[in-house]
Amino acid sequence: MKRFLLITAGTVGSLGAVLSITPPQLGNSDLGLTSSAGNSTSTGSSSTTANTTSNSSTSTNTATPVTTPTIKSASGTFTGPAVDVSYGMVQVEITVSNGKITNARALQSPSGRSDRYSSYAIPILTQQTLAAQSTNIQGASGASYTTYGWRQSLQGAMASAGL
Amino acid sequence: MRTQHEIEVWGTVLFIDVTSEFEIEPAIIELTEYVNHVDEVFSTYKTNSTISQLRRGEIEIDICSPEVIEVWNICAYIKDLTEGAFDPWAVDGGFDPSGLVKGWAADKCADRLAKAGAKHIQINAAGDLSLRGGFTPEKPWSIGVVNPDNRLEILQAFEIQDGAIATSGTYERGAHIKDPDTGMIAIGAKSATVIGPDGAIADALATALMVSGRDGAVWFTTPELSEYSAWVIDRHENVAWSIGPATA
Repeated sequence: MKRFLLITAGTVGSLGAVLSITPPQLGNSDLGLTSSAGNSTSTGSSSTTANTTSNSSTSTNTATPVTTPTIKSASGTFTGPAVDVSYGMVQVEITVSNGKITNARALQSPSGRSDRYSSYAIPILTQQTLAAQSTNIQGASGASYTTYGWRQSLQGAMASAGL
Repeated sequence: MRTQHEIEVWGTVLFIDVTSEFEIEPAIIELTEYVNHVDEVFSTYKTNSTISQLRRGEIEIDICSPEVIEVWNICAYIKDLTEGAFDPWAVDGGFDPSGLVKGWAADKCADRLAKAGAKHIQINAAGDLSLRGGFTPEKPWSIGVVNPDNRLEILQAFEIQDGAIATSGTYERGAHIKDPDTGMIAIGAKSATVIGPDGAIADALATALMVSGRDGAVWFTTPELSEYSAWVIDRHENVAWSIGPATA
């Protein structure tokens, strides 16, 4: 959860507002979701031990330090951690252009019987991203496959991008 | 104060955006218990759920709880209204109301928060939204319909003060809605959005339009659906057509 705090602190405006949500009563679920070690991005900045008290970001690109939530100019592709969601692994890659997410896709996602989970899913990603990028839309209807694991992996990818 | 919450349930994440003049947290905790209860009753993945028992023929509908009977009856109503395009009884393995339970439950959640005294409520259950009280008293909720080919793009926005909006679609992983008549994957539409007063009905109609495609315009024009609107992206031509008051 420390990374979660980092994201909140290091992000400006409405995106921070959206990401600072604390899911109620998710403690048990959190325990069930384990990010696999060593699976962070090439920049190495999606570390799960991100320091929330100083500027000691390990990022080698434009990841935003905690105390200076100013310019979001990251570009490129960023990969989140692979997350074990008990019925498979979820891993997300995002494409960022000038600090804005322009695409997101799953490098890994559950298959087989759990297709249902995948297709059942909520556009939380969409909700968060669009809410951050548009002040005129408060919600999104439509589907993408998003699970809790997707969101965790996404947050890791966003942290890598300094978003 | 406006707050946002997420509850992990139903194989997805339930998103809640609510404004209230009091501490909302107790109501959210209560809501969490409720949505887990809904999961226990309606999940087709839990072998002991009421729905799973119904599917196996171990119990009859007449001994089920009022909420299950309510959902059953809405299913029957929409099956009739859509001339069979929505048919939870045609699903492999028996009666499966998943095509409307999320929309139905989103409504119940919104009603519960409204009853608790919240003023402005958005419940987003995997793209099926229930809305109460507008974003502000003067400004309706503005809800975007996502491009099925690019989930980060809004194709169309609808303004809703009180009501529901539901979208069914085919996704990267392929179509997941079957035509009850043929058992084949539904190919009538690429994405179907329905706006109207009732979340369960909107959800079911969106599912039905995925099956019917443009043919659905026939049954959609029944006077019983005069308060409902549809916005549909064609499967093949990649153009949208619409019907109803919200799309005028």
